[in-house]
Amino acid sequence: MKNKASILIHSLLIFLVILWLMPVYSSLIAAFKGLDEFALTPFYSIPQKFVFFQNVRDTYSEYRLHYHLFSSAIYAGAGSLLAIVFSSMAAYSLIRLKPKFNFLLFIIIYSGTIFPFQMYLIPLHKMFNALDLYNTRSGMILIYTAITIPFSLFVYRGFFTTIPKSIEDAAIIDGCGPISVFVKIFIPQAAAPTAVVALFQMSWIWNDLLFGLVLSRSEYVRPIMVGMAAMSGIGGGSRVYQMTGVLTTSIPTILLFIILKKYFISGMSSVASMK
Amino acid sequence: MIHSTVKDKFISYILVLPALLFVTVFLLYPMLDNVFISFFKSSGLGKPEFIGVKNYIRAFQDSNFILSFSNTLIWVIFTLAVPVIGSLLIAVFLKNLKGGTFYKSIFFLPLTLSFVSTGIIWMNVFSSNNGVLNTILSLLSGGEKVKISWLASVPLNTVSMLVAWTWQQLGTSMVLFLMGLTTIPNDPIEASIIDGANKWQTFIHVTFPMLKPITTVVITQALVNSFKTFDLIYVITRGGPYRSSETLAVTMYRETFTMFNIGYGSAISVILSAIIIMITGKYIKNQMTRDLLHY
Repeated sequence: MKNKASILIHSLLIFLVILWLMPVYSSLIAAFKGLDEFALTPFYSIPQKFVFFQNVRDTYSEYRLHYHLFSSAIYAGAGSLLAIVFSSMAAYSLIRLKPKFNFLLFIIIYSGTIFPFQMYLIPLHKMFNALDLYNTRSGMILIYTAITIPFSLFVYRGFFTTIPKSIEDAAIIDGCGPISVFVKIFIPQAAAPTAVVALFQMSWIWNDLLFGLVLSRSEYVRPIMVGMAAMSGIGGGSRVYQMTGVLTTSIPTILLFIILKKYFISGMSSVASMK
Repeated sequence: MIHSTVKDKFISYILVLPALLFVTVFLLYPMLDNVFISFFKSSGLGKPEFIGVKNYIRAFQDSNFILSFSNTLIWVIFTLAVPVIGSLLIAVFLKNLKGGTFYKSIFFLPLTLSFVSTGIIWMNVFSSNNGVLNTILSLLSGGEKVKISWLASVPLNTVSMLVAWTWQQLGTSMVLFLMGLTTIPNDPIEASIIDGANKWQTFIHVTFPMLKPITTVVITQALVNSFKTFDLIYVITRGGPYRSSETLAVTMYRETFTMFNIGYGSAISVILSAIIIMITGKYIKNQMTRDLLHY
């Protein structure tokens, strides 16, 4: 009885593993096939010639993904960097310096996580047009920074409460002001929350579709996922090109996950405790 | 703070200011403006006309909105039924399994991909022309060419997209459940097994009740994410054919940015937000009371 159940569960698991890997396998292999070969052979057949780099060249020259890649790299880098700087500063102040109304200030910033993004799109579109930020890289950086600040603040705030007060008390007695306490004591210890924020926010910005779609128009400004989405749908590219796009544009986030893997779980627990 | 001078007070505000400004200017103000816009009829050109709650009334008389709303409910119910329960069962099973890490990494793999990539990957699976699924079905049926249009017929298109969604989302819920499982002690589970309970009884009466806190988190998150679904549908069907697979977020986008019914679009986003706040309201309140105790 016990064995039968365990065989059943194991076969179910193996079935699920195949189900999970099959889409990955079929897309990987499509990116390595020529256009004709893809159309004429079943999905599982092994590619006859090695045309992957040819596919990359064709895909990128036809759909100009490198423009989008370049923009997205700027957005992911600058957006998370600004969010890291501003939210760590704010978290330190709210936790340690406790300005008046600090709880209210926290709630105001935190409220940025409560609403679905659809709630911001129309006024942002209007505002970006009025301020000449529509379809500009600086506009995209501003919105990505704003949208990533609340979560980052939450992570830093949670972490800073765990830093013992005794160290900074000693520093204060030695005559350190609040800024030098932040720079000399808090920043050097903040590697872990910074890694969490960098991992989650960079990959979030990299994977964003909605804001890119609504707030930009040209191939020089639109982020990578908007460029990719344009390849799907009616009049989109060949599936060989689509898969080449998927494969090459997923590399940055996959690498980020591999490098910062150990921070993934602590980031997920922050996500969990926010809800 | 031992000394709290005027200068230190000033610094404490300066440090909060940039974060506060970003959130107020780009999130809070637009949110309020959005509620305001929803009371106007506007096409983006000319002067908006105040029409009170007519945009909201229109929504509940609009067959496209009603279809989109019911599609959204299908997404929500399916998400609770398949990825949430599925990830719980898999997490419980994998927890003490030898080689569980291998399985876990397979289920986590899609987490690193965007919804756009997920959509494109699954379009290749569901394509009616030389697609992966039709090829497999053709092989199983013994040479007969299967040509099912998974993405062009109702309700197959929504079901197909939900499969892609599950593939992407299962890992997220699983991580949270696995986290929850590490926090519960082993003693009660062992005790119940010694008392003669089988694995299923132990799970229902011992493990699951102890997982309640993380379960509420997973359910809330899954509810919110499924209500907000946009990317996957935008990439795979654009809400079509004939607006048949739209959800609220997609309808809001289409009404606003392709049909220029701007006031109506913002009313839809307000409705969507109201639903989401109703779901998360209790958790936000708990979070805030917990926080207030810290202060």
